[in-house]
Amino acid sequence: MKILVMSEDPEFFRSSAWMAQQLGGEILGIHPSESRYVDKVYIPNLEGAWETALAEFAFTLKPDVVIAGGTRRDRTFAFSLAGKMRASVASEVMEATLQGDSLLVKRPVYSGIAVATLKMRLPAVISVQKNVMEPNLLKGEVEKITLPGTNLILKERKVAQQSVSLDKAKIIVSVGRGMGSKENVKFAVDLARVLNGAVGGSRPVTAEMGWLPEDRQIGLSGNKVRPQLYIALGISGQPQHIAGIRDSKVIVAVNKDKNAPISENCDYMIVGDAIEFCKVLTGRLSK
Amino acid sequence: MSVVACFKVVPDDTSIRVIGGKVETNVPLKVSTYDKNAIEEAVRVKEKLGWKAIGVTVGNTDRKSIRDALSMGLDEVVAISSGYLDVSGTAMALAETIRSISPKLVIMAESTTDSSTSALPPYLAEVLGYNLVSYARSISIQDSTIRAERSVGDIEVVESPLPAVVSVTGEINTPRTPSVKQIMESAKKPVKQSSFSSQPLSELVEVKPFVTVRKRVIIEKPMEEAVDQLINYLKGEGVL
Repeated sequence: MKILVMSEDPEFFRSSAWMAQQLGGEILGIHPSESRYVDKVYIPNLEGAWETALAEFAFTLKPDVVIAGGTRRDRTFAFSLAGKMRASVASEVMEATLQGDSLLVKRPVYSGIAVATLKMRLPAVISVQKNVMEPNLLKGEVEKITLPGTNLILKERKVAQQSVSLDKAKIIVSVGRGMGSKENVKFAVDLARVLNGAVGGSRPVTAEMGWLPEDRQIGLSGNKVRPQLYIALGISGQPQHIAGIRDSKVIVAVNKDKNAPISENCDYMIVGDAIEFCKVLTGRLSK
Repeated sequence: MSVVACFKVVPDDTSIRVIGGKVETNVPLKVSTYDKNAIEEAVRVKEKLGWKAIGVTVGNTDRKSIRDALSMGLDEVVAISSGYLDVSGTAMALAETIRSISPKLVIMAESTTDSSTSALPPYLAEVLGYNLVSYARSISIQDSTIRAERSVGDIEVVESPLPAVVSVTGEINTPRTPSVKQIMESAKKPVKQSSFSSQPLSELVEVKPFVTVRKRVIIEKPMEEAVDQLINYLKGEGVL
């Protein structure tokens, strides 16, 4: 059994390596820096638009199982490789075990309302969710590699502005359509400031209405978060949003509609106006 | 010249509920939400460049959902009926039809609302041997080159020769709401039927509800009092 682990992100790489070690076998890795979680790590020059070029390299390693992280670049790499290999695929895998010639995996479906168990034929390519497990240290031999050229030419890269990371925030204040307007988002920003938290938003306000940058999106298609406290302001609670906040310790919702789906997925719900809530709570905490 | 928009007919995820410990997916069908961004973008390419815009759907070929897609401005739809297909099977089914159309551009959403793998665009690009641009938040076409802004943590501006498969994010556009006239006209547009079957590489063993237990305490009182009560709860939880 030859398992290939890849992520551009250190935490995803660790999660993927941990899952590979649970399966057992020879573990190869591809990562931008050295790592001792695998038997051998290939360090590519990640320049240009590298995902499909990296897939071309990975194809030559002939892995039985590929475990990739969950960033957008990781997935582009993984499923391009899967296409080359004509492999079976699954993404956002939470658990994986080998059963004879198959890989048995669990993953969310229907926007996170349900969990499906799939029996995947090998070779199999999966992307994983982040976890907090610590993989064992292995040999970690290192080989630097140069990627082949591709048709996709990178003209410019604009580095995303780093505000408070949603990934690591202990408290997140998150806005939805119920905030009423882009201007009103400032009330949530003020609240987040006194709470020393980060600001996020639902898919409609980030990806569709542009109230916040898309990298602030929380949900199945955006960031998955696991804060101590998650405050959902004017968010109805569509399944794709709930899937992104499921691991939060405490969820508070503020919504005018007592019967909004979020009422079934929160710990505390204040029935009322989200702006008024922001003003009152910010006032209380500023004292 | 033509542009293909891929879309999928899925159970409306906002109607799916867990009833009696089972996931109830026998709910109204619709075009997967994000696929409307793909259809919209294909129609914009058509309007700008005069290309033909063809929709392709695999799996469930619900007539009403296909009409919704046509009323947004697609010229025709190829509806491939099939039983359960995994990503690999879906890619093979799409590839067979797309090869016969031989478009310059294939536009798809970054993911669907039912299985949400994000795997199909890269997989399909490989099967077709097309270039891939994933997670595009804007595109423009000049001669036989596509220029796109990709949203991948950073923003990347990339160029690629056509033909290409492009997956788009929700930022790319706001899907139009068709007029009554467009809805009426959609009934006259051609829908070509075909079918596809293949042995899936992965077998669906079971689907179970994802259960989370939340306290669900509802606080319904004047805001000042409600906030005070919430502060007490949150202090009790040790999160404030």
